[in-house]
Amino acid sequence: MFDLVIGIGVTHVYRQLAHSRLWTQLNLSQLFRVILPAIIITGIIYAVLIVIKNYCARLLFDLHFESSLIVAFQRNFLTLLATGIRLMAIWILAFHLYHYAMMQIRIAEENARLQLAAKEAQLNNLSAQLNPHFFFNSLNSIKALVASDPEGARRAIDLLSELLRNSLYQRDNILISLNEEMALVNDYLELEKMRFEDRLHYQIDIDKELENWLVLPLSIQTLVENAIKHGIAKSINGGLIKIEVNEFDSILKIMVQNPGELKNEEQANGLGLKNLQSRLTLQYGDRASLILTQLPGEIASAVLHIPVAS
Amino acid sequence: MKKMRVILIDDERLAREELRRMLDAYPDFEIVAESANAEEAAQLIEKHQPDLILLDIQMPGKSGFDLLEMLPQVPEVIFVTAYNQYAVKAFETDALDYVVKPVRGERFSKVIEKVRNKISRTPSPQQQLFVKDGNKCYFIRLDEIYLIESMENYARLYFRDITTYLKRSLNQLETELDPAVFFRINRSQIINTNFIKHIEQAENGRLGITLRDGKLLQVSERQSVKFKSNNRLKTKFN
Repeated sequence: MFDLVIGIGVTHVYRQLAHSRLWTQLNLSQLFRVILPAIIITGIIYAVLIVIKNYCARLLFDLHFESSLIVAFQRNFLTLLATGIRLMAIWILAFHLYHYAMMQIRIAEENARLQLAAKEAQLNNLSAQLNPHFFFNSLNSIKALVASDPEGARRAIDLLSELLRNSLYQRDNILISLNEEMALVNDYLELEKMRFEDRLHYQIDIDKELENWLVLPLSIQTLVENAIKHGIAKSINGGLIKIEVNEFDSILKIMVQNPGELKNEEQANGLGLKNLQSRLTLQYGDRASLILTQLPGEIASAVLHIPVAS
Repeated sequence: MKKMRVILIDDERLAREELRRMLDAYPDFEIVAESANAEEAAQLIEKHQPDLILLDIQMPGKSGFDLLEMLPQVPEVIFVTAYNQYAVKAFETDALDYVVKPVRGERFSKVIEKVRNKISRTPSPQQQLFVKDGNKCYFIRLDEIYLIESMENYARLYFRDITTYLKRSLNQLETELDPAVFFRINRSQIINTNFIKHIEQAENGRLGITLRDGKLLQVSERQSVKFKSNNRLKTKFN
């Protein structure tokens, strides 16, 4: 009965230790280096405790017992040690076998999830680029400008070329500097300004020191495009698009706001944002987040958090 | 020759400018107004009664489809959109004419030719309504509608072998329809008198009307009296 309590006690202490030291997440060869000494040490502890327990029990209940603890050790220790090691080996191996299997399942699930995200990003590859509507609307504006404002038309062609180049020659999973991304966003906004005229106003606020931070190409652009689609194109009077980038605790926070009510299904489930979401997962795992919120005063806000990229 | 009167409706100034330029090549078309949103456009259409509108589908506030549904009388329409043609075709209507932005000259001239033919073929403009029912769009000529029923805030239209719903009250529709053709037979139904197959009179003087599709409808007491007096004047029925 007491043997059982001691056995459970020892293995419980080991379990706590294994969890706190993350031994359950080791690979096989690392695991063996932990398990072998662990079995011996827990076996010894078990044997020692049992000897002491037996000694104490006899001391308490057997009035004629007059042997010393050392003699008890000499008599029983080796046998008990063999039992201890056997018991602990069975228990520790079972414990790690279970956790190792669980870890394998988790890894397989995670891999499947990443693969799915990669597939999705691949499938949506074309739409991960700039929105085709945007190109056709821009070309239509340019067509009108050619006659009424040739200089404006020339400028618009330059901007559109730059955007096309970025969009068509974009390579997967290559990060670009915040500076480059914002140059693209500025071109995009200038072009949309030609289209929406007084309906579109924008304000950009970025800490100068952050311009070399790495971001996913077209990530801020996607947020801005979404903001224009829902905040400007759908509003008769338009409004202000606000872009803010700052850093806190090695996390880059990118915020894009647009006027309007956030209609969850519509604004959050657009192909553009879904795509950005899977590209973020691919690049950063779960260390990046994209959250849409409704702010007071009819402002919809998209906030992107990404970790510092090495 | 009488010019065809056109209203341009697109929320982008440059897009309207471009349409205006394209239409310049057709001297028999005259632009009487342009508008950047549906609400304003509805008023302009009411005021100018144009023969044709060039209409952007995606607009802020109310869409091009919403605008058409608001109109008591819908002119000829050419839809203009930056969507691709497959997306427009998804709206499943044979009556829908559309061009994609930027508009190719050849394509535009084809659509204009079609409108010319349609308008010149019918000397007095055909009155029509527009209904968007899910993914289906209908341009419904008034002379195709044989029965209108009140369904709370909606009117249920029966035409051809189709029924659909228009977001307009029966009272409102009654004022918009030609009283020589359409007759309110009771609180919840308006019929097109051209679709009457035969009429019976019950002993209490109330009328029962059978339509060409076989539907038997009861006329209210008050409207029975009115119907009889109307038609005695016209001596259409005995």
